[in-house]
Amino acid sequence: MSNRYSKIMLIVITIFCVFFMAITYIDSSLLDPVRVYANYFLVPIQRNVSHFGNAAAAEIRENRHLHEVYAENQELMKRIDELVAENNRLRSDSLELERLRELYKLDQNYRDYPTVAARVISRDSQKWFNIFRVDKGLADGITKDMNVIGGGGLIGIVVDVGANYATVRSIIDDESNVYAMSQYSNDTCLVKGNIEAYETGALNISNIDKNAVFNDGDAVITSNLSTKYLPGILIGYASDININSQHLTKSGRLIPVADFSDIQEVLIITQIKTESGIVQPDSE
Amino acid sequence: MRFKTIVKRIIIYFVLIMFAFILQTCLFPMVRFLFAAPNLLLIITFSYGFMYGPTTGIICGLFAGLMMDTFYSEPFGLFIMIYSYLGFFCGLFTEEYRNDSMILPLILCVVCDFFYNAAMIVYRILTFGFVNMEFLLKKVVLPEMFFTLLVTIAVYHILLNTNRKLDQIDDLRGQNAA
Repeated sequence: MSNRYSKIMLIVITIFCVFFMAITYIDSSLLDPVRVYANYFLVPIQRNVSHFGNAAAAEIRENRHLHEVYAENQELMKRIDELVAENNRLRSDSLELERLRELYKLDQNYRDYPTVAARVISRDSQKWFNIFRVDKGLADGITKDMNVIGGGGLIGIVVDVGANYATVRSIIDDESNVYAMSQYSNDTCLVKGNIEAYETGALNISNIDKNAVFNDGDAVITSNLSTKYLPGILIGYASDININSQHLTKSGRLIPVADFSDIQEVLIITQIKTESGIVQPDSE
Repeated sequence: MRFKTIVKRIIIYFVLIMFAFILQTCLFPMVRFLFAAPNLLLIITFSYGFMYGPTTGIICGLFAGLMMDTFYSEPFGLFIMIYSYLGFFCGLFTEEYRNDSMILPLILCVVCDFFYNAAMIVYRILTFGFVNMEFLLKKVVLPEMFFTLLVTIAVYHILLNTNRKLDQIDDLRGQNAA
């Protein structure tokens, strides 16, 4: 008996899912209310759990650090001179790195976009999609298509927003396409996320004109051509730029400035790009 | 089963799946050394389908899919369909459940995870038109299957014993009421 029930259930679910998949495929915003109401319930829990998790992770990291320091201390007892010398060298290196990073940051002449800080509350542990959720939503003036930056560069775009949360698609997601340009030559290119490229810490750049001046190490920023991304946001640095086999375009890889493996806080730019220019959406 | 028991069971499934989903989305990404994370929702769906039959499997699959569908902005219903089919599929083997052997559940776990990942790959082919099969298998599918299997070995017995206890409680209640 139960078998017959289950078959009927399965058929109903199949029809239901196919129907909804079809309508969301045509217009993805049709079912947004369902997502929004479901998340009224889920998001507060996620927020608290991830807050707790962050605290615990920090605690564990600190503990591990302490153990490391202790072990290192023991080592130092034995070979104190050698290690102190090495330590000094490393410290001066890291200071230099920090200074250089500061210089780089100053070098980026960002436009001053107004931003809102948000905390990442959930991210799926599976690798199929690169999407995460932050704890700011409509109530904080966030709307769809707002750009998200962090760690010195572009991170993604808001694809879905509810009263108290927003879902962000990272630029490393396969569905992400960003029109960008070289900061020096203003030659345009297309930055595409790719699960495979990201495994090596990079994104793909393509559609560069074969005559364009585009060199390895060039800073790549979002372009005016993009319909959703605000111009002038740093994405990363070009590398491995090569002419394609058909000799029509160049392509290569882009090393992003933002560290996507460890995003905890992000900044959401509260202006959006529309056909009539960059506007501040009315807060409801 | 009485109506109250059924409702109670459904609430238990829902809470359990929500718990697993939150674990999967909030805490697993913080564990750095995991290069892949187990698919807890799949484990729950297939265990319950296997233990209680296709109807339960479908209900669990429905809840699990609902969580995933509200989280992602892919076409709504994609995950519901995948998970409920897997729940139903495992439910078909419920007759074999009586003995305590772990072999069949583990085989089912691998088969389910394989189908789940195959569905994801098909979805990718449909949206992007191409996939690098070798890379996906090596870096995404196999690590995930490995961890899911590992967690199934650890969790399956806990689920099994908890459910036996719940069954006993429900049976006793049923007798008292009669």
